[in-house]
Amino acid sequence: MTAAGIGLRAPHLQQIARERPATGFLEIHAENHLAPSPALEIVERLRMDYAFSIHAVGLSLGSADGIDEVHLDRVAALVRRLQPQWLSDHLAWSTQGGRYFNDLLPMPYTEEALDTVVRNIDRVQEAFGRPISLENPSCYLAFAHSTMSEPMFLAEVARRSGCGLLLDVNNVHVTAHNLRLDPGEWLALPGEAITQYHLAGHAVNDADGAPILIDDHGSRVSDAVWKLYARMVARFGARPTLVEWDTALPDLSVLLAEAGRVALVA
Amino acid sequence: MSLSLRELQAAVAAHLDGQASAVLDELVIGPAARLRVHRHHVRDSLATALAATFPTVQALVGEDFFKGMARAYVGGALPTQPVLAEYGESFADFVGAYEPARRLAYLTDTARLDWALNVAFHAASTPRLSTADLSAVEVEQLPGRGLFMAPGSALIRSAYPIDRIWAAAQPGAAGGTVDLAEGAACLLVLRRPDDAGFIRLSEGEAAFVSALASGAPLEGAAEAAFAVEPGFELSAVFARLLAVGAFAALR
Repeated sequence: MTAAGIGLRAPHLQQIARERPATGFLEIHAENHLAPSPALEIVERLRMDYAFSIHAVGLSLGSADGIDEVHLDRVAALVRRLQPQWLSDHLAWSTQGGRYFNDLLPMPYTEEALDTVVRNIDRVQEAFGRPISLENPSCYLAFAHSTMSEPMFLAEVARRSGCGLLLDVNNVHVTAHNLRLDPGEWLALPGEAITQYHLAGHAVNDADGAPILIDDHGSRVSDAVWKLYARMVARFGARPTLVEWDTALPDLSVLLAEAGRVALVA
Repeated sequence: MSLSLRELQAAVAAHLDGQASAVLDELVIGPAARLRVHRHHVRDSLATALAATFPTVQALVGEDFFKGMARAYVGGALPTQPVLAEYGESFADFVGAYEPARRLAYLTDTARLDWALNVAFHAASTPRLSTADLSAVEVEQLPGRGLFMAPGSALIRSAYPIDRIWAAAQPGAAGGTVDLAEGAACLLVLRRPDDAGFIRLSEGEAAFVSALASGAPLEGAAEAAFAVEPGFELSAVFARLLAVGAFAALR
């Protein structure tokens, strides 16, 4: 059976520490646990009993400015401490000119961007002493000067850097809808590079009269995303799968039940 | 029309700062509203992060007012690194100068307390000075020794009863009113085993802790306390501070 995991978020921390629910693995965002805290101490205790995924959101792997070495050092220290089974960040940028935007900003898919991302991932993997996995982004816009598709770009990054790919099925659905692409394009990814799937809910917003899907991780996984997940699993095989829920966090039981649905597919 | 990656990211960053960009209009496929999705997300997600760091301030002014104030702050002071628990150090000063909140004179000190609690929460849980450590020192040498405060500890002074204001703003608090005329409060914020909290100090205690924190030996700190509080009870106060884990070690 596929390992299905859940995000370990602050409001659930005490309950999970107390009740130790059965789940395939726990995922934390690196940036929430870089400073010491009582929460980190609980995470360290849970690490003895659970498999872990460290998902970074702030390495800014797409930055033309390169990797922030101070931040990289801090994430590397957490990785050494927790020794997680999985390690990942996004195909996006979030830092420019010394400012951090707290958003996963879109990349153009050009040769220059490819060189930049591969160089940044090389640096990160060197610091961690192990490969990371790169997550496909949720996109609301595209750039006219892109010369390749997102799946082509991801495949080439994986080939040149040796990184794995974290296939976020909700992000494929959101991006394909917003940019009027066929989600089937992502079935051309190199399956052997895929290390993990992500599933999450999205919101439907209105952008000047046209519906736009926002990857807000604030609801149950949609039927369309479950169907797409089934297609991905049929194509690439089962992988550990995370159900993400970050805003409007429900009771832990709801989150665990949603993760339980993974077993119905994979 | 093409830009280098560095130029493109600088242009998007300028857009997120609120500047119009003709270059981006040419390069971005999709309605202009799509870029605004990112601009809103930057402001909203950082305002949400500030609400988590300043929960008492938000409870006092309400979600909508807080959101407006936080978005205004974000516009002028983006984070410089990705750890959001470390974002907002200058928020209390901003709150103090924020014209729509001018009537709430205690708000900036409340923000200072929230920030200090946040810093203490993220302080290392290191061993604290114990009576056993003290008994290892010759009694006659003790007055000449200084003490290191515990990591994350901070002294917050306010002209307002911010401890009572804080308590009234907690989730599930009974409500009621706080009389601002109750006057000044001096609080010692500390990392505790499972969270962060504070104790209220008298003027003498505050002078004692403040002197120790700036490196004075116990004798000098006690003198500073007696100067503002003639009835200062050194041994009782010292025992209380030891018991709450206020000190890290002897200097």
